Amino acid sequence: MCLGIPGRIVEIHDDRGLLMGQVDFGGVRREVCLAYLAGQVQPGDYAIVHVGFAISRVDEEEARRTFEALRELSQLDELDWMREVAERSLAGQAGPRA
Amino acid sequence: MKYLSEYRDAGVARGLIARVRARATRPWVLMEVCGGQTHTIVKQGLLELLDGAVEMIHGPGCPVCVTPLEQIDKALRLAADPRVIFTSFGDMLRVPGSECDLLQVRARGGEVRVVYSPLDALELAVRHPDRQVVFFAVGFETTAPANAMAVWRARELGVGNFSILVSHVTVPPAMTALLSASDNRVQGFLAAGHVCTVMGWTEYEPIAARYRVPIVVTGFEPVDILEGIWMAVCQLEEGRHEVENQYVRSVRREGTVPARDLVSKVFQLVDRKWRGIGEIPQSGLGLREEFADFDAEYRFGLTAIQVEESPECRAGDVLRGQLKPFQCPAFGERCTPDHPLGAPMVSSEGACAAYHNYGRFRQARPAEV
Repeated sequence: MCLGIPGRIVEIHDDRGLLMGQVDFGGVRREVCLAYLAGQVQPGDYAIVHVGFAISRVDEEEARRTFEALRELSQLDELDWMREVAERSLAGQAGPRA
Repeated sequence: MKYLSEYRDAGVARGLIARVRARATRPWVLMEVCGGQTHTIVKQGLLELLDGAVEMIHGPGCPVCVTPLEQIDKALRLAADPRVIFTSFGDMLRVPGSECDLLQVRARGGEVRVVYSPLDALELAVRHPDRQVVFFAVGFETTAPANAMAVWRARELGVGNFSILVSHVTVPPAMTALLSASDNRVQGFLAAGHVCTVMGWTEYEPIAARYRVPIVVTGFEPVDILEGIWMAVCQLEEGRHEVENQYVRSVRREGTVPARDLVSKVFQLVDRKWRGIGEIPQSGLGLREEFADFDAEYRFGLTAIQVEESPECRAGDVLRGQLKPFQCPAFGERCTPDHPLGAPMVSSEGACAAYHNYGRFRQARPAEV
């Protein structure tokens, strides 16, 4: 959880007063809070994301390098947590949980 | 060497290693305080490549590893409470408490869910108004902005069934505590790049000046770390003790200001126990009085729980650099990643797990030397 994961901001929206966006992490997409980079990011930009919060803007090359480095170091556990949350939330939409 | 050769910038890395080895007139002792850096150093075999020029001590840089036993026990109690949906980052689930871990509580019927972000936990609370949703707020300064926002947002949206169990720690007080110890061996630090991306490095300047140690803000890739080591060794050889920034592509001196601002609105500095090290004054973050309603310890009456740690786990000695993981009598025998005695063997960022996973004990084990 100490190492942020770089992702590409796909879309930006306002959720009840909070700046949020869809971010793509090497094919895994999820909702990320962009409030700490308000006014600094647009769709297509890259940012380092810590546990669902974009903390710093980076350029595309740096984002790719960092993502590959994390992959080489097997430090992408958080993508599994994202998937787990996404699967549960889909299961929740399909019907009540047991 | 085979580890480094798998790395794409191996040539650059070898050049830096040669420069460090040529420059060091004595073996310098440096500490990194970042689990990601520890992982890189051990995986890429940098310890062996720098042997004789630089000794790296793996400091308390893994948030999972330093979360004190009593906070884990409080988490276990909350997770077993039928009113509660307990939510956590995935890497806390296998950390051993006094009697079991969160996975075992889940197996016995406790509702424990992995979330990626504390906002996922807040969303769960909104969707389950009949349940209490508690989030295990652990981590260094990198997760504090996220946890601060979750609490801020809960108050803003009036989500009364959300609370957090706080076990936040901050890096600079731990560095100060290590440097103040009479048996300190650390002569220079690599500061964690991603922590400084959030916080900047102004807090490190008085530490470098007071204890006369170089502190180099450093990234987590092999070349970053070697460059950070190179910069620290140059300072030591020249008798300088400054804060320098190796990780210029991510870190600015003032950090990410809006994130720092919200962290200080929601949290305040508190004394905090570190697993294996003990209490370090003003080394943690706790919720400010005005957010006490969102503090799970108050809501569920857990403030009085105090727990002594198991004497068999020598995590404290490892985190203070007094013991290498493989020198612990339990290492690899009674303590393995599948059956950990302590947190540094659990997390992928923990020093003991890194040594175990990358076979760093085989060649270095005292019995075989």
